[in-house]
Amino acid sequence: MNAIGPLEPGEGTRAWDAGDPAGPAPGPASRIRRAAAARYGHHRRAVLALAAAAVLLGGGGYLYATRPRQEASPPPPPAPFPAQMVDVFYAGGRPTPAGAPSRSFSFAVLLRVESGPPVTVARVTQPYAGLSLVTTPRTPFDTKEGTDREITITMHVTECGKVPKDAGLPFLDVTLRNVRAMQIQSFILGSPYAHHLSQAVKAACDNEITSSPKPSRRLN
Amino acid sequence: MRQRSLIAITAALAAGTLTLTACGSRDSGGDKGSNSGSGGTTVTIGIDAPLTGDLSALGLGIKNSVDLAVKTANKQNIVKGVTFKISAKDDQAQPSSGQQNATAFVGDTSVLGVVGPLNSSVAQSMQKVFDDNKLVEVSPANTSPDLTQGTDWQKTKARPYKSYFRTATTDAVQGPFAAQYIFNKAKKTKVFVIDDKKTYGAGLAKTFTEEFTKLGGKVVGTEHINPDTKDFSAVATKVKSSGAEVVYYGGEYPQAGPLSKQIKSAGADIPLIGGDGIYDPTFIKLAGSAATGDFATSVGAPVETLASAKEFVANYKAAGYKEDYAAYGGYSYDSAWSIIEAVKKVVDDNGGKLPSDARAKVTAAVQNVSFDGVTGKVSFDQYGDATNKQLTVYSVTGGAWKAVESGTYNGG
Repeated sequence: MNAIGPLEPGEGTRAWDAGDPAGPAPGPASRIRRAAAARYGHHRRAVLALAAAAVLLGGGGYLYATRPRQEASPPPPPAPFPAQMVDVFYAGGRPTPAGAPSRSFSFAVLLRVESGPPVTVARVTQPYAGLSLVTTPRTPFDTKEGTDREITITMHVTECGKVPKDAGLPFLDVTLRNVRAMQIQSFILGSPYAHHLSQAVKAACDNEITSSPKPSRRLN
Repeated sequence: MRQRSLIAITAALAAGTLTLTACGSRDSGGDKGSNSGSGGTTVTIGIDAPLTGDLSALGLGIKNSVDLAVKTANKQNIVKGVTFKISAKDDQAQPSSGQQNATAFVGDTSVLGVVGPLNSSVAQSMQKVFDDNKLVEVSPANTSPDLTQGTDWQKTKARPYKSYFRTATTDAVQGPFAAQYIFNKAKKTKVFVIDDKKTYGAGLAKTFTEEFTKLGGKVVGTEHINPDTKDFSAVATKVKSSGAEVVYYGGEYPQAGPLSKQIKSAGADIPLIGGDGIYDPTFIKLAGSAATGDFATSVGAPVETLASAKEFVANYKAAGYKEDYAAYGGYSYDSAWSIIEAVKKVVDDNGGKLPSDARAKVTAAVQNVSFDGVTGKVSFDQYGDATNKQLTVYSVTGGAWKAVESGTYNGG
């Protein structure tokens, strides 16, 4: 039982199965129509349910097809190159370790990772043939964003003739590695480092000249 | 229906806004930009560079890059109520033209800052004109140390003009950086030094020579060339007979290209190295295959290592400029942006309007700008020099400049 009941045809409308009382005798078309109407009458509920389901499916499909699409999230930007994120500053002289060879001197640099992923300091070198160096901590070591890492560098003059005694802008080559790349960056530490290097090399090599063993004198 | 109501309300508000702005009062006095006619203020950023002649490849790159910065600022409405525009003047790399341009910029009250020039010698003729009128000048390309640190900069640094700034690093670093590379890495110990007698070229050759000799290198010959000629055969012959292992040239690519070619033609198969003035594809075109193995130092890190520079390159390309952004594109963008940031600061501090003494205030504000630019962090030290001092050595390989080594100066 339908609680609402069949809808009454409105003004200017006509029920399919009402017929035309004043019309001519029914022809073949009219018979087909009547048969369809009769079938509809028997399966009215099923037809209506199917139609409603079709409308729902169609509407749902339309809404799904036209849903506001969420923008595909852009891929995260690649990590910056390490040399663009790292600064190295000269931080002054430091005591030379007790076990260091003669003609050695020490100083510190501060290495700062401004931002980005951790950076590994893979190597620290300097360009002069007559100098060698070791770092504390020893390379490789890791550094994190926002921290100043003090590195003590102890240089050893191996050959005075192959070290400039008055370089204006000497630098350190630092090999940096992060998830993006490995780079060798020259860090030019400015006048204070140049002055320290110059003084230390002069001291080391002047001592060498004055303290080098004199040739043995022949007594005869 | 709700949508229709929204459209109606939006239209009414837009019409009201347009009516109000159209009725805005027009300011005419002081150096505070000009009224745009639609109620906003138009601020002009001047550009001085060689837009014609031999060095126009660099100059047009400067102009286009500033144009891109201005368009970006307008599109993003960086300074509310202010529309930026550019006014570009050609100095033809001549100091006298630069000075005339400076005077013209000073006379235009809508100009609140100038980007340029390219040449240090041109800058020398413009600095006082701008400083007398408190009009800020930010050069993307000048490298002569005396512009910011005074003529006696090697002994006592003293800033001559408070209105002058630059985003490029100086030859006080560039020359020694080249010397260190050539002596220590390229293992060349005998150099022939040539310059074009101009402020930039002679200054750079001097700072290179000083460091090279300190390192233990030997200068086996020096020559000055006339930049108005392209026949360097006599100099090339001297280079050949000097026994030099490398030639250092202080000057620019219009002369450096033919010089490199003629040196090799004379039988001296040795590399030529120069500064940022030769770092341009035109150098390679002029020198031809003789350029292979030549070096140049230039300001900044290689573009491919800077994410911000990649974005700039993409935007520059999308903007459809005919000319390349060249060696100073990123620095030009950052120079313009430092002025835009300064204007923003001045407007924000003055209740959203430009004050009557905008030029002086913009100059003061540029001193304190700090932002992430195309070339990295942009800020200025007490001399007006960029705090970000990066340099790169490039070598000609396969007909193009390729980065071989980069350095960062952190010497204060």
